[in-house]
Amino acid sequence: MKSLKKKLESSFDNIRVDITKDNRLTITIKKDGIISILSFLKKLGYEHLALISCVDWIEENEFELVYILSAYMENDKEYTEKEKRSIIIKTRISREKAEFMTIINIFENAEPYERELHELFGINFEGHPRLTPLFLEREYEIPPFRKDFDTRKYVKDVFDKIPTIEEREKNENH
Amino acid sequence: MDRNQLKKWFKSPAKMGHKYSLHVIYFCTGCGIIEIPPSITTRWDAERFGIIPVATPRQANLFLITGYVSVKTLKPIIRTYEQMPDPKFTVGFGSCPINGGMYWDSYNTIKHLDKYIPIDGWIAGCMPRPEAIFIAVTHLWTLIDKEMADGYKKYRENYKYYRANQEQLYGKLEWPPLFAGKDKK
Repeated sequence: MKSLKKKLESSFDNIRVDITKDNRLTITIKKDGIISILSFLKKLGYEHLALISCVDWIEENEFELVYILSAYMENDKEYTEKEKRSIIIKTRISREKAEFMTIINIFENAEPYERELHELFGINFEGHPRLTPLFLEREYEIPPFRKDFDTRKYVKDVFDKIPTIEEREKNENH
Repeated sequence: MDRNQLKKWFKSPAKMGHKYSLHVIYFCTGCGIIEIPPSITTRWDAERFGIIPVATPRQANLFLITGYVSVKTLKPIIRTYEQMPDPKFTVGFGSCPINGGMYWDSYNTIKHLDKYIPIDGWIAGCMPRPEAIFIAVTHLWTLIDKEMADGYKKYRENYKYYRANQEQLYGKLEWPPLFAGKDKK
């Protein structure tokens, strides 16, 4: 892990690498460097994109994208089952202009994750072939996982406004 | 068979038949599915009560909705319910279909299922034990006996209102009204 840290720090600018646990590496990088660092790590053997996640930092007006990679290093002799390595890559994008580039060219399985983030956070991934709805049926004014989406108000406006059958009947007859 | 009920059998055999051969379709929307395997297999053996799970809604006459109902799954629930032949009985299982349960402030969960389809009985709890299913079934027998489990008749009579509620949620529905031209009661 330490050798990997040195390697990363020497080959990338503007990067912060922390060893958060024995087998866990956290990389914080500016958004331009994501594609190059992901392809760099993929060549090293971190071939499994486990998750793309997003955190809404509403006070700082930023989204934090989190990419989690892990490795099946069968050819690496140093790698044993005990030390399953995972790498967490974090980057920040602006909240108002929530746009980022897609990483499908590197990791193909990023497609549903990016669709999900597009649906729940409203992040637009450039170059994604189909950003169509994935889970949700209704359209929301604010994407529902953003912090400024008021769920209770939404419930009051939508679900509580639907009358029961008895109420509807009463309204009809009067 | 209980000898005391022989009179009832001769009086209305169809009703007794419905009562003791409930063919169930489980709509496994949420965590409630975890209670179904023990209740239909040997441990609790639902067949003692004449309950058999069936493959399609066309063969079923009891509809168990187990667990929370999201906006997306409500559509298949309505379609499944409309496909079932009469007489059909519905039971909401768990506290989520009753009033949202722990998802009471969720943006994507239906709060009151009985606004969209008629429900004959509820089983409260999070989760209810498998025994609760059988208690509910015995209650349902009483309701069928007294002809109080008439949700399917209500659906036919008040279809206009149910459809209006469904359309208020979804905007426009893809399928045509089930009882077209029966607007008047």
